[in-house]
Amino acid sequence: MKINKVSVLVAMAALFVVSCSNDDDGVVIEEVKGDYQNGILIVNEGPFNNGSGTVTYISNDSLLVKDAIFKLENNEDLGNIVQSIAFDEERAYIVVNNSHKIHVVNRYTFKSEAVIEEGLLNPRYMTVANGKGYVTNWGDSADETDDYVSIIDLNANVVSSSIPVELGPEAITSNSDFVYVAHQGAFGQNNKVSIIDASTDVVSSTLTVGDFPNSMQWDTSGNLWVLSGGAPEYTGEETNGTLTEINTSDNSIVQTFDFETTEHPGDLSVEDDTFYFGMSNAVYTFESGLDALPTEAFLNNVSFYSMTVNDGKLYGTDAKDYASKGDLFIYDLNTKELTNTISVGIIPGGIYFN
Amino acid sequence: MRNYKPFFFILISLCGVCGYAQRDSITVLDEVILTDVRLLHFSNGKVDVLKDSIVDRNGSSLTDLLQFNSSIYLKENGLGMISSPSFRGTNASQTAVIWNGININSQLTGQVDFNTIVPRNYGSISVRSGGGSVQFGSGAIGGSVHLNDVFRFDKHSEHQLLVSYGSFDTKNFNYSTSIGTKRTTVGFGVNYLVSENDYKYLGTDQRNENGAFNNINVNANVGHEIAEGQLLKFYHNTFIGDRDFSGTITASSNSNYRDYNSRNLLEWSHFNEKRIHRVKFGYLYEKYKYYDNKERESFTFGNTNTFLVNYDYKIDLNDIILNGIVDYSYIEAKGTDIENGKRNTLATTLLFKHNLGEKITYGANLRKEFVNDYKSPFVYSLNARYSFNSYHSVYFNASKNYRVPTFNEVYWILGGGSGGNPDIRPESSLQAEIGQTFKKEKYTFQWAAFYIDSENLIQWRPNNDGIWTPINIKDASNYGLEVSLELAEKWGNHHVTWKNSYALTEAVDSETENSLMYVPRHKVTTSLTYAYSDWRLFYQLFVNSSVFVTSDNSESLSGYSVSNLGLSRGFKIKEKLNIETSLQVNNLFNKNYQNVAYRPMPNRNVQLKLKIKI
Repeated sequence: MKINKVSVLVAMAALFVVSCSNDDDGVVIEEVKGDYQNGILIVNEGPFNNGSGTVTYISNDSLLVKDAIFKLENNEDLGNIVQSIAFDEERAYIVVNNSHKIHVVNRYTFKSEAVIEEGLLNPRYMTVANGKGYVTNWGDSADETDDYVSIIDLNANVVSSSIPVELGPEAITSNSDFVYVAHQGAFGQNNKVSIIDASTDVVSSTLTVGDFPNSMQWDTSGNLWVLSGGAPEYTGEETNGTLTEINTSDNSIVQTFDFETTEHPGDLSVEDDTFYFGMSNAVYTFESGLDALPTEAFLNNVSFYSMTVNDGKLYGTDAKDYASKGDLFIYDLNTKELTNTISVGIIPGGIYFN
Repeated sequence: MRNYKPFFFILISLCGVCGYAQRDSITVLDEVILTDVRLLHFSNGKVDVLKDSIVDRNGSSLTDLLQFNSSIYLKENGLGMISSPSFRGTNASQTAVIWNGININSQLTGQVDFNTIVPRNYGSISVRSGGGSVQFGSGAIGGSVHLNDVFRFDKHSEHQLLVSYGSFDTKNFNYSTSIGTKRTTVGFGVNYLVSENDYKYLGTDQRNENGAFNNINVNANVGHEIAEGQLLKFYHNTFIGDRDFSGTITASSNSNYRDYNSRNLLEWSHFNEKRIHRVKFGYLYEKYKYYDNKERESFTFGNTNTFLVNYDYKIDLNDIILNGIVDYSYIEAKGTDIENGKRNTLATTLLFKHNLGEKITYGANLRKEFVNDYKSPFVYSLNARYSFNSYHSVYFNASKNYRVPTFNEVYWILGGGSGGNPDIRPESSLQAEIGQTFKKEKYTFQWAAFYIDSENLIQWRPNNDGIWTPINIKDASNYGLEVSLELAEKWGNHHVTWKNSYALTEAVDSETENSLMYVPRHKVTTSLTYAYSDWRLFYQLFVNSSVFVTSDNSESLSGYSVSNLGLSRGFKIKEKLNIETSLQVNNLFNKNYQNVAYRPMPNRNVQLKLKIKI
């Protein structure tokens, strides 16, 4: 049945999800601003056909775990398929894909401040640049030509305008001048990065990267690295994954590393200039100055639904059977030991640090 | 057609619940007229016949009918939307629906959407509990629901018109007729149901925004006695549905679903007192179109064609009945996501029953299928019944049953991150059941205890490459107890009937020992009818206890009870003209309930009906 197909597709799309936690404001704040300061936020997509996703709070010492904190604070469900969170100063923007909305909350108290609904259709990820929010939208999932990036007026919490873009805008990140959109391809396939000038809000250029670009991270010199999964075998024309470095001063491609055709990496994460990604049931690392991709795995026999690194730790999630509470695994990057396993919500797809 | 007698419904409902109890009076002709003979002779377990008066109340969908009148748990994605059964804690593709003896579960999904079956114009509807794959094929694991047309070979001419109007702009129109002579009979029924279905979600400011639906259902049948001992019958059913699919509390919907089903069966039988030959030709067609956004032209679709030939030979050797069946079917499926699915199945079945004296009956049944695209297990069943006397009996049965992989499971085109699995195997189960029946004029009491051990249950999961594909992953065991009690009493013009059922069901994942999702531990139904002269008042209720909505049992949906109340009056205008008017209040206590999480069901609503019978 189509319904099953939709579920499957949605779930599948979620498999490619990367945690776009490129927020540089992980500064430790001394004063207590709310219950959810100094901790980890896990975005749980929730069951795909019907129901609501949740956000789980985990204190930095992992001792305190609170499920469904948005509902706890606001007595309201977030909505169906909670996709991602973006942060700006004291606010968090929770993007809810299948309910086509963004909840604006205080990031430390999780009290609701606004809901943005008008102008969003299948929203995916958000970033903030030049005082504005930028949200990738798939548009109508049956239409491959109506995809767009909506621009949020962060004072009024409304969509102020939108920019038509190529098929399947997914991960989005920004520096002070430009917004970078990875076009993974929604239900189809794409291989582009669109670059939006944050002063004029037009697409200033488009770069071709590998097939299915799924995640982007910054190195310490301000260059952008784009990881593409490559086309999987089932597409009939399997292509290799690639890692592409973009020089953001002139928005040109500096270099591209090719994986083997059967290798399909995902979940690019970074700490300082060390990148981490998941591939073939293992985690690999790559230093930004190296001239070849790693051949030895950093961590073997792990497969995460979503993965990121932060402050000497690797965080990975397990969605289990997609119909029960998932787990968050925390590894020490030095010892490579699993230090914690924490039960979170249904289909944990995003890991953020408050 | 149903032989409706508006003012004698209580007498009708006294006429027994158990199919087996009526078999002694069945003549060969009666038997030949009946197509689903396996239900009659080879179902030595629990069979509940749903009476006309019940079908009258809850006749617009099989969902409505069974949730108030059986132990089957039903979950609907909102009123009128996709509805799937759980029979004895099994999943939706483990309940078979048998139309005039043919299994009509979708070849694409393995299930029947119970909101696409309109029970109103069938002559007989029965619910058979327990495994029946030998007799009824794939999916008869939890049990089966039997829809049968009934032929009347006598001189008659009857017409019935029903119109009703109710809340949410719900209109129902039904016309049925039955005309016959001693040698030829024709039945026809058409039902049209349309509803805006825009009920409010209690406790919210939302409504069921995208839930409008309509459907047309046509039943037709012709029977003709060609010569002495030769009968030709033709059956037809068409269902055309057009539904906007409701969203959930957290996500709106703009989708639309259209389905079309056509079922045709031609049967020739040649019989004498001892032997019956039957040859059947069947053609089934199913098609769906799904519009994710109904404003747009684009849709996805799937359709299947099933051609079947069946030869059935039954011989009655005094105390032994033997029945051999050879059944060949060719099925082809096409669709947006299915390419060139073809399946050839040859099924051989042997059914044996022996009456050992007056008190003991036992039987053994065997079935083996030969299929081109998967390996089908050998299935069998054994049963025995001991009758202490005419009103008290005990029975035992044990069987192996299966559910074949669907076309979606085998042939789904690899792409977009999902794909079928050509190596998938059938789901199979072993089960055993014991039960006891007391049946007297004023009461019927039955109980049954069952155990089902299922293996290789199919679920869609991501494989090593991250592709969602069906795999034989789960084993489960289900056990439970079903009890029913019916009482009837009359004092002069006052008639009272009271029907009750209770089911205790445990369905447990064998590996994790968690309860399976969406299986209530308790289900209760009750229905109390009081009739005085031309007046009739009824109250019906069902209760489902809470269900888990996650596989680790971390979240659940609370239980609920739903009540309906109805009042009707019959008028006899002339000798042959009867009119009945009725008012029915559904969800009498305005309960806020969901049977699928985040999909609310309707608030209190009313329905007015007018029925004219000539």
